[in-house]
Amino acid sequence: MKAKEGVINILNKILTADLTAINQYFVHAKMCENWGYDRLHHKVRERSIDEMKDADELIGHILYLDGVPNVQRMNTVQIGETVPEQLKTDLKTEQEMLTLLSEGVAHCTKVGDFTTRHMLEDMAKDVDTHIDWIETQQELIEQVGLENYLSEQIHKEG
Amino acid sequence: MKAKEGVLDLLYKVVTLELTAVHHYLLHASLCDNWGYERLHHEFHEHMTEETTHVSKVIGHVLYLGGRPDVQKLGAVSSGQSVQDLFNADLKLEQEDVTLLRDAIAHCAKVSDFTTRHLLEEMVVDSEEHVNWFETQLRTIAQVGLENYLGEQIKK
Repeated sequence: MKAKEGVINILNKILTADLTAINQYFVHAKMCENWGYDRLHHKVRERSIDEMKDADELIGHILYLDGVPNVQRMNTVQIGETVPEQLKTDLKTEQEMLTLLSEGVAHCTKVGDFTTRHMLEDMAKDVDTHIDWIETQQELIEQVGLENYLSEQIHKEG
Repeated sequence: MKAKEGVLDLLYKVVTLELTAVHHYLLHASLCDNWGYERLHHEFHEHMTEETTHVSKVIGHVLYLGGRPDVQKLGAVSSGQSVQDLFNADLKLEQEDVTLLRDAIAHCAKVSDFTTRHLLEEMVVDSEEHVNWFETQLRTIAQVGLENYLGEQIKK
């Protein structure tokens, strides 16, 4: 399949954002583990794995469109030194990702690439879920206080 | 835990190399998938999973030692036009990895950090297995010919 104009470029930008997010979440998950927040460790690691699956899908799709996936490039990884900081930088990363995906969806509609559009829409749905989760955590901290919130993160759910 | 001298710097290098390997295999798995080599696609995926586990362990250990893992840096990721290109690039990377791990193990022994040494020793076992796997593939290609080899990679 030959790609429509501009599509590969957009896919590579999303891929870069994804690869950056994988590493950021990976380190955040590990830091939470190191601090003893087992629940957060698992939640954040899951997010990292989600991004990895997206990266895999993007690379596959770029190749399918006869493009060259760029796995060399990375944006700035933003590491938070505390749990609230981590939530803040992760939220920013997810919001930037959503903007990229929305632009991608709009562009694909314009050039009539509905397969790519469909894929990006699926990814945008995941990002929405991530944003929702992070915002909930921030809201919780606001309501119950950081210490109460953190003490609930020591045990894993279920 | 406070790290012994030089240990964190070596672990940072290991993180960069292992991350580079993850990106290598992520790309190479997809390329093989795109070319229709299902068996190789799965092999590369497994390699990627192993390298991800390594990254996870090393980052965890760096944090335990009070260090700050650098996940921003990445070595050169090679692509390729053929399966052999991929194998050659991967073999080179794994050989670099083995060399780095061996140096790090020797250093840990010198400064008596046996926990880190133990971790690295486990990793070097995997890396040597990877080197062996790539060498085997390249040797098989030399013996049976590229077309026969590739024909066997279509099905898992």
